[in-house]
Amino acid sequence: MDPPLTSAHVAFRDEARAWLADHVPDLPPPGSPEAFEQHVSWERELHEAGFQALHWPEEYGGRGADVVTQAIFEEEYVRADGPDRVTVLGTNLLAPTLFAHGTDAQRQRWLPDILAARTIWSQGFSEPDAGSDLASLRTRAERDGDDLVVNGQKIWTSYGAYADWIFALVRTSNFSAPRADSTPDGPTKHAGITFVAIDLRSDGVEVRPIIQLDGHAGFSEVFFTDVRVPIDQVIGEIDDGWPVAMTTLAAERDAPAAPPARYERDLRDLIDIARAVGLDTDDVVRDRIAGLHVRVECYRHQAAATVATLAAGGSLGDGASVTKLLWSELERDLYAFGLELLGAHGEVLDDRAPLRDVAGWHSRYWYARAATIYAGTSEIQRNILARRVLALPKA
Amino acid sequence: MFPTEEQHALREMARDLFAAASPPKRLRALWDGEDRGRDVWKRLADAGLTGLTVPQEHGGGGGGFREVVLVLGEAGYAALPEPLLETVAVGVPLLTEIARLAEETPGGAWAHGWLERIAAGDAIVTVQLGGAPYVVDADVADLLLTEIEGSLFALTDFGAEPVVTEDRARRLFDAHAIVDSRSAVTHRPAILEPARDRGAVGTAALQTGIARRLLDTTVEYARTRQQFGQPIGAFQAVQHQLADVHVALTAAGGAVWHAAGAIDDDGPDRAHAAAVAKAAANDAASLANRVALQLHGGIGFTWEHDLHLWLKRGLALQQAYGSAREHRRRIAADLFDEESR
Repeated sequence: MDPPLTSAHVAFRDEARAWLADHVPDLPPPGSPEAFEQHVSWERELHEAGFQALHWPEEYGGRGADVVTQAIFEEEYVRADGPDRVTVLGTNLLAPTLFAHGTDAQRQRWLPDILAARTIWSQGFSEPDAGSDLASLRTRAERDGDDLVVNGQKIWTSYGAYADWIFALVRTSNFSAPRADSTPDGPTKHAGITFVAIDLRSDGVEVRPIIQLDGHAGFSEVFFTDVRVPIDQVIGEIDDGWPVAMTTLAAERDAPAAPPARYERDLRDLIDIARAVGLDTDDVVRDRIAGLHVRVECYRHQAAATVATLAAGGSLGDGASVTKLLWSELERDLYAFGLELLGAHGEVLDDRAPLRDVAGWHSRYWYARAATIYAGTSEIQRNILARRVLALPKA
Repeated sequence: MFPTEEQHALREMARDLFAAASPPKRLRALWDGEDRGRDVWKRLADAGLTGLTVPQEHGGGGGGFREVVLVLGEAGYAALPEPLLETVAVGVPLLTEIARLAEETPGGAWAHGWLERIAAGDAIVTVQLGGAPYVVDADVADLLLTEIEGSLFALTDFGAEPVVTEDRARRLFDAHAIVDSRSAVTHRPAILEPARDRGAVGTAALQTGIARRLLDTTVEYARTRQQFGQPIGAFQAVQHQLADVHVALTAAGGAVWHAAGAIDDDGPDRAHAAAVAKAAANDAASLANRVALQLHGGIGFTWEHDLHLWLKRGLALQQAYGSAREHRRRIAADLFDEESR
């Protein structure tokens, strides 16, 4: 960490480091029911030790930690090789949304279970025809007495197959899908959307896992057929869910989601690969790895600036697109170079290869390929920078 | 870790001063061979910029390297032809260190005298470190600090042979043809390595300023230039190139700021951070250079358009104080050869 640490920060770091060193398990990716359950158990342990949802206010069971403390924990978590956390959609995205837009009853009802990893949440924003173009979603909900009746489909739902609840955007206004000629950023398209929490065990919900190209069942499709959702599960106002969704997206964007320690570790692995294949004295390889190291360092400084901005009470706003592009494209290129270094061994997934865990490297390689797609594609990030930061004109 | 309010004010002041004192019109006159004179240097001195890093007891501002990179960023933005980098970023810290060392031995007054003259705007310094084959601005410099085989020599009476340069406002002289009566001022190589790092980080700061100017100019052009019935800046293919320059520039800016801090704090990663900063700034500056000319199209390729004043300054600085390749070589040694750390 670059920002100056207070003695409380240092004490926290030492506490977290010692605890993680003793407790972090070695888990398979959470792509099977058994593995997922192991991840959930681990997160319950994290919660009991007081390390889950550090940034939440104390009244909801968090530590009310500042962003520096949070960033310290994320760094230590990576250094300790902590497993991917399957509760993040609840702790990091839904919770801040509830703090900003939820009712007291909603907070009391959902937050304790999120904190204790008793309920797992998934996110229902994307649809087959509305991914980056979020506001063109077509899942509909109609008011019927004290319920909304939901029909439609969500897709790319992370952990959907194992989740208990989903927070979703549905169209509740009179007009259905936007007309083809409506302006992309026009007000009509964003009006009439409602942010709603849906119990995935409700009648009419069908979840179909989607097998990813790396063989894992990471996400799913969720179908809604006349699903009745009590009106008290609407977060914010009916027809006015867009600002609520923006809070969720801002939380995703501002969260120090990719701890720089991760890329420092990956670069060390890359150097190990170069040694393992006898290319550590090759000038071209050294030049390429040094170039990647420069990008890791630049990202580390960017992440430190992010933490400092948030710690000072600011928000990254549209500048967060710089951060997203830096880390996602860095990890894509870093893993790709690892496979290039492995040469003919790069095709092989078993222990014959010169690397300790070549299958793991492949897995990280493919997941890194998704990093330039999820949380706003690279293309969308560049559009944001061009339009909103550089103020270039619209077509 | 962010610039303080005072540092912001310093940067604003430098930006306004450079824009007023050295507009593109003056750059073009220098390109046509006009003598630089000392008017602009005097204005820099009056604003406290030549003495920015001179210790206060010698009449300077006592500023650190963070202040230096902020000012040099603006010097790059204006393509200022004065040797601020050589004098303020490299020369003054060397002289200050020499003065400090000399207090242990006779002769410290010599360096003190130079520091005071620099702060007053009466002396310009240029430097030649690490076997660089050319010396910048030897024609206007009163003092040349030159590294020969690990020792530093101070030359006041020297002649230098000019060489023809691509950027005519950045004047270079053949270092092998310098005629002088030399005398070593220090045999301590320990002060030379930090000086080279300052040169690299100062150059990186200049490059980010040039890249920012190229980005601003090109964004402005893309907003106004019409094709197919709309501004070219509305095309996504154009927008994405400019967004990439912004990303690269932000990344390099962070590396430069971090390296400046490592220099100020004399941190253990000073040399490494300097190499990272120069490599990152080179990448950002070369991307900005490529995109600026591409998006300006034919007009950008003309002599009459000002764009090439920045394109060529940017190109010149790619090699100054080490190319990206040289710095990556140093970084690789840090990464692979643990014993060298």
